[in-house]
Amino acid sequence: MSSVAAGPSLAEGYTHRAGTFDELTGGGEVRGHWRTLLDELAALGPTEIARRWEHAQELIHDNGVSYDVHGEGQGTERPWRLSPVPVVLSPDEWQALVPALAQRARLLELVLEDLYGPQHLVHERLLPPELLFGHPGYLRACHGTIPGDGRWLPFYAVDLVRGPDGRFLVLSDRTQVPTGAGYALENRIIVSRALPEAFRACQVQRLAPFFQTVRDTLARLAPRNKDNPRIVLLSPGATDPTYFEQAYLAHYLGYPVVHGGDLTVRSGRVYLKTLGGLHQVDVIVRRVEDALCDPLELRPDALGGVPGLVQAVRERAVAIANPLGSGLASTPALLPYLPAIARRMLGEELRLASVPTMWCGDADARAVALDRLPALVWKPAFDVTRVHPIFASTLDEEGRQRLRARAEREGAGLVAQEAVALGSTPALIDGRLAPRPWVLRVYLVATADGHAVMPGGLARFTRSADGFEVSIHRGGFSKDTWVRSRGPVAPFSLLPPSTAPITLSRGGGELPSRVADNLFWLGRYAARAEDMARLARIVVPRLAEQTAERAPAAELWPLCRAMLATAHMSDGALPPSSSPDALTAYEAAAQAALEAAEQAGSLRGTLRSLQRVARECRDRLSTDSWRVVMSIETDGPLAPTLDALVVTLSALGGIISDSMSRGQAWRFLDMGRRLERASGLVKLLARTLPVPCERSGALLEAVLEAADSGMTYRRRYLNRLEVAPVLDLLLTDETNPRSVMFQATALAEHVAALPRDGDSAVRRPEQRLVLEVLHALELADVEAMATVDPGGETRAALAALLERLGAALPAVSDSLAASYLSHASVSRQLGSRGDAR
Amino acid sequence: MRYRVRHATEYSYADPVSQSHHLAHLVPRTDNGQIVAARELRILPHPAFRRERIDVYGNRATYFSIEEPHRHLAVESRLEVEVPRAPPPPARSAAWDEVAARVARDRRADTLNAFAFAFASPCVRLSPGLREYAAPSFPAARPLLEAVMDLTRRVHADFVYDTRATNVSTPVDDVLAARRGVCQDFAHLTLGCLRALELPARYVSGYLRTRPPPGKPRLVGADASHAWVSVYLPDYGWMDFDPTNGVAAADEHITVACGRDFGDVAPLRGVILGGGTHELSVAVDVEVL
Repeated sequence: MSSVAAGPSLAEGYTHRAGTFDELTGGGEVRGHWRTLLDELAALGPTEIARRWEHAQELIHDNGVSYDVHGEGQGTERPWRLSPVPVVLSPDEWQALVPALAQRARLLELVLEDLYGPQHLVHERLLPPELLFGHPGYLRACHGTIPGDGRWLPFYAVDLVRGPDGRFLVLSDRTQVPTGAGYALENRIIVSRALPEAFRACQVQRLAPFFQTVRDTLARLAPRNKDNPRIVLLSPGATDPTYFEQAYLAHYLGYPVVHGGDLTVRSGRVYLKTLGGLHQVDVIVRRVEDALCDPLELRPDALGGVPGLVQAVRERAVAIANPLGSGLASTPALLPYLPAIARRMLGEELRLASVPTMWCGDADARAVALDRLPALVWKPAFDVTRVHPIFASTLDEEGRQRLRARAEREGAGLVAQEAVALGSTPALIDGRLAPRPWVLRVYLVATADGHAVMPGGLARFTRSADGFEVSIHRGGFSKDTWVRSRGPVAPFSLLPPSTAPITLSRGGGELPSRVADNLFWLGRYAARAEDMARLARIVVPRLAEQTAERAPAAELWPLCRAMLATAHMSDGALPPSSSPDALTAYEAAAQAALEAAEQAGSLRGTLRSLQRVARECRDRLSTDSWRVVMSIETDGPLAPTLDALVVTLSALGGIISDSMSRGQAWRFLDMGRRLERASGLVKLLARTLPVPCERSGALLEAVLEAADSGMTYRRRYLNRLEVAPVLDLLLTDETNPRSVMFQATALAEHVAALPRDGDSAVRRPEQRLVLEVLHALELADVEAMATVDPGGETRAALAALLERLGAALPAVSDSLAASYLSHASVSRQLGSRGDAR
Repeated sequence: MRYRVRHATEYSYADPVSQSHHLAHLVPRTDNGQIVAARELRILPHPAFRRERIDVYGNRATYFSIEEPHRHLAVESRLEVEVPRAPPPPARSAAWDEVAARVARDRRADTLNAFAFAFASPCVRLSPGLREYAAPSFPAARPLLEAVMDLTRRVHADFVYDTRATNVSTPVDDVLAARRGVCQDFAHLTLGCLRALELPARYVSGYLRTRPPPGKPRLVGADASHAWVSVYLPDYGWMDFDPTNGVAAADEHITVACGRDFGDVAPLRGVILGGGTHELSVAVDVEVL
C-alpha cells in the first residue's frame, strides 16, 4: 500500500490496492512522467477542470459519439463515456513495448499464413490439430487464398493489462475486426481540446502519423491501381454497436461507408454500385465479421454479404483488410501455444507474454484448470468478441459445479485464464484522483516490413475500485492515453485546417445507390408524416366533438377519406355518410390511420419508417437532424401530440435540407420530399373537392389548413372562400411553395440534373413523366375546373386532372427507382438436395 | 464398372434474375481409383465468368456467375466414369476405440488429414443422443469395419425413407427423433454417430446405380443424386458405407465429392438477385456401359 503524501491537492489521499501496480506511483512516489500533468491539473484547479469537462461533454454529445450497447439501433446508444484524466506513459516504457507488440503481430500473421496454407503448425503438433479442425472460425473456403500484398494482418489490436510486477501482459488479441482506433482518435481530440496546456506541456506523441500509415498501407494492399486505389469501408450497417466509429474513421480517412448491398461481384471483380454506374473496388476495409461476408461460400444465411466475394479474393482482384479468415488468430485457445510457436517460426522468445491461459481441449491442461477452478476466469475458447467471462470466484457452489460439468463435457470450447490483479491508473472521481483498474487496447498497422504501433490507445477503466471487468460494453469508461516523447513534437494532423478547402478523395464524391435510396425515402417519409399530422390535427378534434345525436359536419367525411388515402388505406369499406353507424366507422378508420402500428402507412408506421431510414443513412445527416428525428416519440398515443409533431416535422424538413450540400445526396432527399408533397396534395384535393360539399366554406378552410396555405390565402383573398382561388393556390400557383406546381417545377430541375449515361439528348422516362405533370398543370383552367357540371354532380374536369396527376406521380417514383435505385432487391439462396435411395 | 451419368438441374423463375452466383460440385474427384473418361458441364445462359479449382477437400469445385437478366437456368453434367471394384477389406480391422485413440495422436500426414473429419460441422452437430444411438454397434474393442457395417444396417432398418419429413436444414437430432428422412439425413446421422465416438468420417456426394424392378425397363432420368459416408481406417484408407441402403459400397457408388457434410459439397448452390418464386427440376440418369 502506498500513498502520495505531498502531492498536489488533486492526488491527496491517493492510495492504491496492495498487490497491484499503479500507473501514478508505481508503488512509491509520483512517477516522473506524471508530474507535468499533475502540475498542470493543479494549476487549473478542480473548478476549472469541471467547467472544461462539462464543455467537453457537450462536444461528445454534439459530435454524436456513441456506442450502441445492445447493437439493436433502437435508441440504446449511450453517449461515449470518457474521463478527462489521461493515462500517461513514459517514452522509455513505450519504447520497450513497441518491438514486443510488433513481434506479436508478425507472429500471428505467420500463424494465419500457415493455417490457411501448409499447416506445418498442426503437422508438427505445435498446435493441437483439434484446435484447428474443431474451430468454427477456421473458414475452409479461404484455405489457399493469398491476401493483398501477402499480408494477413493489415490491422491488429491487443488488450494489455499491467501485472503486479509492472509488466504488460496480453489479455486478448484482436485480429478479426480490430475496433476502437476511431474512439481513441476521438478521445484524443476531445481531451487535447479540453486540456490544451497540459497536452502541450507533456509533449504527447501524435496519433495522426499512424493514420497516415494506415492510408499508405491500404493503398499498398491494392492488387492494382496502387497510386489511386478505390477503398471502401464495409459496414454491417447502422445497427452495429460501433457504427459511429466506422462512420467516423471512414470520414477521417476519406473512404465511403458501404454495406454489402452496395457491392457486387462481376466476373470475379468487386464493384461499388453508384448513381453513376459500377466502379471497381480495390481494397475493402472490413468491419463485417468474415463469416458473414459471402452467402455463397461462407455462412449461407448471411444474405447481407457480397455473393462471390471469396472468389474475387481467390482471383486476387480485391484486397480485404483484415482478410477473410483472419479472425482465427484471435482464438484465446491459441495463447498457451504461442511461446513455442514463436521459437519455431521466428527463432525468438515471445517478448510479450499472455495472461497465463489453459485450453480445456487439452486433457492435461483441463485437469490443472479444474483443480484450480474457483481461482480462474473462464471464457469461450474460440471467440473474443462480446464475450462475458465467468469469474469463478464469484460463483456459488452450484455455479461452480455447473462450470465443472461444462468443462468436462465440452472442454474444447473453454479456456481458463489466471485472474490477474489488474493494475490501476488515476481517475477523477468526485473531484479527486483515485486509482481504478484499467485495460489498454493498442493498435498496430502493417508497414512495408513489419507493423507500426499507434502511440497511444484506448484505455478503459471501471468506476468501482475493485471492479475486475473492464468493458465499455458492460458500462466502463474510456480514457485517452498519452505517450510522452523525449523531445518536442512536430504538429501533424490529418484533419484539414478549418480555413483550407477540403479536397475530396476520389471515393467520397460517389453516392452509393443504397444511400440515394434511403435519402429518397427519408424525404418521402418526412413529408408524408407531416402531411398526415396536419390532416389528423384537423380531423381528430372534429370527430371527437361529434355526438351521435347531432348530425356530423358534412366536411368531415371527405377529410376523413383524404386521411385514409394519405395512409395508403382503402376507404371502400366505409359506409355512406347517411348510414347510422357512419360516425363510429369513420372514427375507427381515422384512429387506425393515425395510431395502428401494424399499418405501414399509418402515422405511427410512417414515423417508425422515418426513423429506420434515418438510421440507415445516419452518416449523411447532421447531428441536429439526427436528434430531431430520434426525438419523435412513437410508442405512446399520437393524437395528443399532433400539434408538437407538426412543429417538429416541419422544422425537420428545413434542418435536413439546410444542412446538406447541394449534391446528388440532397437531390434524392429533396425529390422524395417533393414527390410525396405533390402526391399528398393531389390525394387531399381528389378526396375533397370534385364532389361539392354542402359546407363548402368549412371544407375549403380545412383543406387550406391541411395544405399549410391558409395564411397565404387569407392575405390574398381575405375571408372569401371560393373553390377557384383555392385550386389556383394549391395546384397551379408556382409561387406557393406548397403547391403541386411548385413541387413539379423542383422535380423537373432535379431529374434534369441526375447523372445519366449515353445520349444526353434523349429524355429519360422520369423526365418525360415530370414534364407531363408540368404541362397538365400549365394548361389547367382553374375557373372551369371549379365549375360543377350542369348535368352532373361533380367537377369532372378537376377529377380528371387529379386522376391524371395521381397516376403520373407514382410513375415518376417507379421510374426513378428503376433508373437509379434498382438494386434494392435482396439476395436469396438456391439449393436442392438429392433424393436417391 | 463403367457408367454414363447425366445430371440435369433446371431452375425457372417467376421474375427475371438480374444476377446469380453459383458453386457446383458436379465433376468427380479421381483420388479414389475412379477414372473420369469424359466430362462436360453445360450451363445456360452462358456464364459471364467460370472457374474450376480444387477445394480444400480435394474436390473439383466450379464457380460461375450469370450477369444478364434471365428467367431460366439449366446446368447439365455429362460424365463417363470407370469405378473400380473396391479392394477387399482387411479380414480383421483394428478395434474402433484403438482407431479413435490413434488418429488423435498419429502424426502421419494422411492420418492427420483424416482427423480433420472427426469433428462437428455446420450440418452435423454432435449430441449425447447420437452417441447413445451408436453405442450398441460399438462395444469396446469391436473391429471398426464390423461396427460401422452394423451401424449402417441399423440405420437402414430403423429409419423410414420419407422425402416429406425433412428439408435441407433439418438438424440431425430431429432426424434421430423422427426416424425419417432422405439419404442426406441418414448420411448426416451416421456421421454424427461416428464423430461422437471421435472417429473420422466424411460425407460423400455422388450417384448410385439403380436397378429397375424385375421385368420393368430402366426409366431414363428417374435416378437421383445420392449421399453416403466414408470412414477412415488407418493403414488402409477410406471405406464407404451407404446407410440409406444398409450396404458397404462396392462398384455401384460413383463418387463426386467428399466433405464434412452436405454444405461443403452440395451439387449446385446459388445466390440470386431477384427472381421471385422459382421452380426446380432435377433429372439424373445413371446408365451402365
